[in-house]
Amino acid sequence: MKNRLRVLRAENDWSQAELADRAGIARQTVVSLEAGKYAPSLPLAFKLSNLFGKSVEEIFDAESADVVGKEHE
Amino acid sequence: MKRMENPTTLATYRYYWQFGFAMAAYVIMLFGSIAAIKHYDLTGGIEAAVALIPVIPLVLVFAAIVRFFATTDELERQINIECLAIAAGLTALLAITYYFLEGIGLPRVSALWTFLAVMLIWGVAKCFVARKYR
Repeated sequence: MKNRLRVLRAENDWSQAELADRAGIARQTVVSLEAGKYAPSLPLAFKLSNLFGKSVEEIFDAESADVVGKEHE
Repeated sequence: MKRMENPTTLATYRYYWQFGFAMAAYVIMLFGSIAAIKHYDLTGGIEAAVALIPVIPLVLVFAAIVRFFATTDELERQINIECLAIAAGLTALLAITYYFLEGIGLPRVSALWTFLAVMLIWGVAKCFVARKYR
């Protein structure tokens, strides 16, 4: 899932480790999220949105999500 | 912000500490149990009870793993659950395959091998599954 985490993190001048600590997740999870290799759970997405003061939609691109059943649309 | 405040980091340290303590207790109780059975003339229920003493710390190991799963980072948990599913499935496949081979004369093997197979496959699977998320 594409997202703006890397950009937002840079704007706040946070390292990956610092973002991980603030969100209460592992640094590896930050790496995976930024690489678009992992789609976060809803609670984590909201936690990140609170941290950056943005809405979930402003951070994560729902269009790029691998949604089950998308092919039937 | 200090790294130690991260709940995921704390969960990992807690797991290592609890796992290490339980495994140390296991080794001590295992040798104690073996020595007791060798040196004392134990029989029946008492012998069985002494032989089962090393299982107690293994329950603590299990509890540490369950607690780690419940408190760790969500990606780490997802990776481990995927690996556990692969390990359980492959072990079941190996077990049934060997069961058929036993039917044509291969020796019966200890049930302990299923545990070892799950642990081994879990570890190997983790290398590949974790790579998917990098």
